[in-house]
Amino acid sequence: MSDLAIVIFMLAQWVNVALPNIPRTSDGKPNLTAPASKTADGKPDLTGIWRNPDGRYLDNVAVNGVEVPFQPWAAALYKERQATFSKDRPSGRCLPHGVPDAMLVPATPFKILQTPGVTLILFENQGRYRQVFTDGRGFPKEMQPTWLGYSIGKWEGDTFVVDTKGFNDQTWIDDGGHPHSDAYHAIERFYRRDFGHMELEITIDDPKAYTRPWKVTIPFEFFPDMELMESVCENERDTPHMVGK
Amino acid sequence: MLHYVLAAILLAQWANIPLPNTPRTADGKPNISAPAPKTSDGRPDLSGIWRVGEGRYLQNIAADIGEAPFQPWAAALYKERADALGKGRPSERCIPHGIPDGMLVRNSPFKIVQTPGVVVILYEEFNHYRQIFTDGRGFPPETNPSWFGYSIGKWEDDTFVAETVGFNDKSWFDDPGHPHSDALRVTERFRRLNFGRMEILITFDDPMAYTKPWSATIPFTLLPDTEIIESICENERDHEHIVGK
Repeated sequence: MSDLAIVIFMLAQWVNVALPNIPRTSDGKPNLTAPASKTADGKPDLTGIWRNPDGRYLDNVAVNGVEVPFQPWAAALYKERQATFSKDRPSGRCLPHGVPDAMLVPATPFKILQTPGVTLILFENQGRYRQVFTDGRGFPKEMQPTWLGYSIGKWEGDTFVVDTKGFNDQTWIDDGGHPHSDAYHAIERFYRRDFGHMELEITIDDPKAYTRPWKVTIPFEFFPDMELMESVCENERDTPHMVGK
Repeated sequence: MLHYVLAAILLAQWANIPLPNTPRTADGKPNISAPAPKTSDGRPDLSGIWRVGEGRYLQNIAADIGEAPFQPWAAALYKERADALGKGRPSERCIPHGIPDGMLVRNSPFKIVQTPGVVVILYEEFNHYRQIFTDGRGFPPETNPSWFGYSIGKWEDDTFVAETVGFNDKSWFDDPGHPHSDALRVTERFRRLNFGRMEILITFDDPMAYTKPWSATIPFTLLPDTEIIESICENERDHEHIVGK
C-alpha cells in the first residue's frame, strides 16, 4: 500500500524534458556553473525554471538574522499569525501568494520568461503569473489594489531591477505572516550569478507597516531539463487539510 | 445609486496605455486594420491582448453547427447541465475554465506573448496561464491529467497550430457544459487576419464523448493600448452570487 502511494507520488513529479539551450558537462549533465546566458541585446537572460532550495525563507523571509523594523500594529499582527501557525494565510483559501512569498515555496518552482517588452514570471503554485513591463511604460495614474501589484523593470548593469506598487493589503510577505499595507513598494534586484544560480535582493519599503525599508537576499537554483506542472488549488478539497489553531 | 455603481465599474476597466508597437492612423488612433505584425523570423506575431468577438460562443460553443455529435452519455450530461443553467461548472468554484472556455469570456480578455521557444497565454480571469511549447520538444510519455493539458505548437505557413493532450475530464468547453473525457485531443489553428482580428479554428477530437471530431471557428478582436488587469476569484465571496438551479 505504501508502495502504491510512492508510485502515485512519483508520477506526479515534474516531467523530464531535455531542453536545447542548456550547457552541459562532458557527461551530458547540465553544467550549473557555466556562465549565465545572455539575450541578443547582451543582457543576462534570466529565462528558465527556478526554485528556492531553502524552505526557511518561506517560513520567515528574515531568517538570516535580518532585524525587521515593525511598526507596533504590524508587530502585533505578526505575533498573532505566528501564534496561530499562520492558519489564516491567503494561500490556505487558494488566494495568491504575494511578493516575494510566491517565489519562496520550495515544492513549486517558477519560470522566468524574459522577452523584449515584458518579463513573465509563471508560478507553478496555483498556476498564476506576474508581468514585469520593460516596454518603457510608467505606472498607471490609478491602480486597482491587487495581490501581485503592478511591476516595471529596468536593467542596472547585469542586475534586473523590478519596482512593484499597487498592492492590496491582504498578501503576506512570507508564510510566517510578515504583513504589509497598501503602501507596500517592493524593489527586487535579480542577479543571475551563473547558469545555475540566481540571487534576489528584495527591499520592503512600507512606511505604514515598517519604520524603515528593510531587505533580504534569497537564493534560487536553476531547475534544469524540467517543465512546470499544473498545480490548481481546489478550495473545498484542500481546506480540511489545513493545520493551525 | 445606479451612477455610483457604473462609476465603480468604469474604474475597474482596463487602463489606457499607449503602446509603442501599435500602428496608428493619421489621427493617432490604433489602426486595427493594419497588417498583422511579424516576428524577426518572419512569422505572424500573435502577441497582444485579445477578447472574443461574440459572447454567444461562451453560451454554446457549437452555436454555428447546431448540435455537437454527442455520444449518448455526453448528450445526457450536456442536457442535465444546460437544464440547470450551467450550475456546478468548475469556474464557479474558482477552478480553471479550460480550453477553449477560458478564451470565450467576453469580459475577461487574454494576452498572448509569443516568444521563440514558447507561446504563453495569460488569462485575465483568475490570473491563470497556459504554455504552448515551440522549442521542438514532443509530448512527454506520461502527463498528469490537467485542466489546460500539455500543448505543443508549430507553424503551418501563417497559421499557428497548437495540439493539446493530457486533459482531465473535468473542464467544460463552454458555460452550458459541453463535456469531454480524458481522451480529448484539441487542435487549435490561430490565424491573425490583420492587426485587430484573429480567428481560432478549434477541433475537438474525443471519441469517448463524441462520435466524430467537430470544430468551431471563433473570432477575436484586439484590445489595443491597454493592459489586462488582475482578476482573482474568491470562492467564499463569489459563491453566493452564482445563478443556476
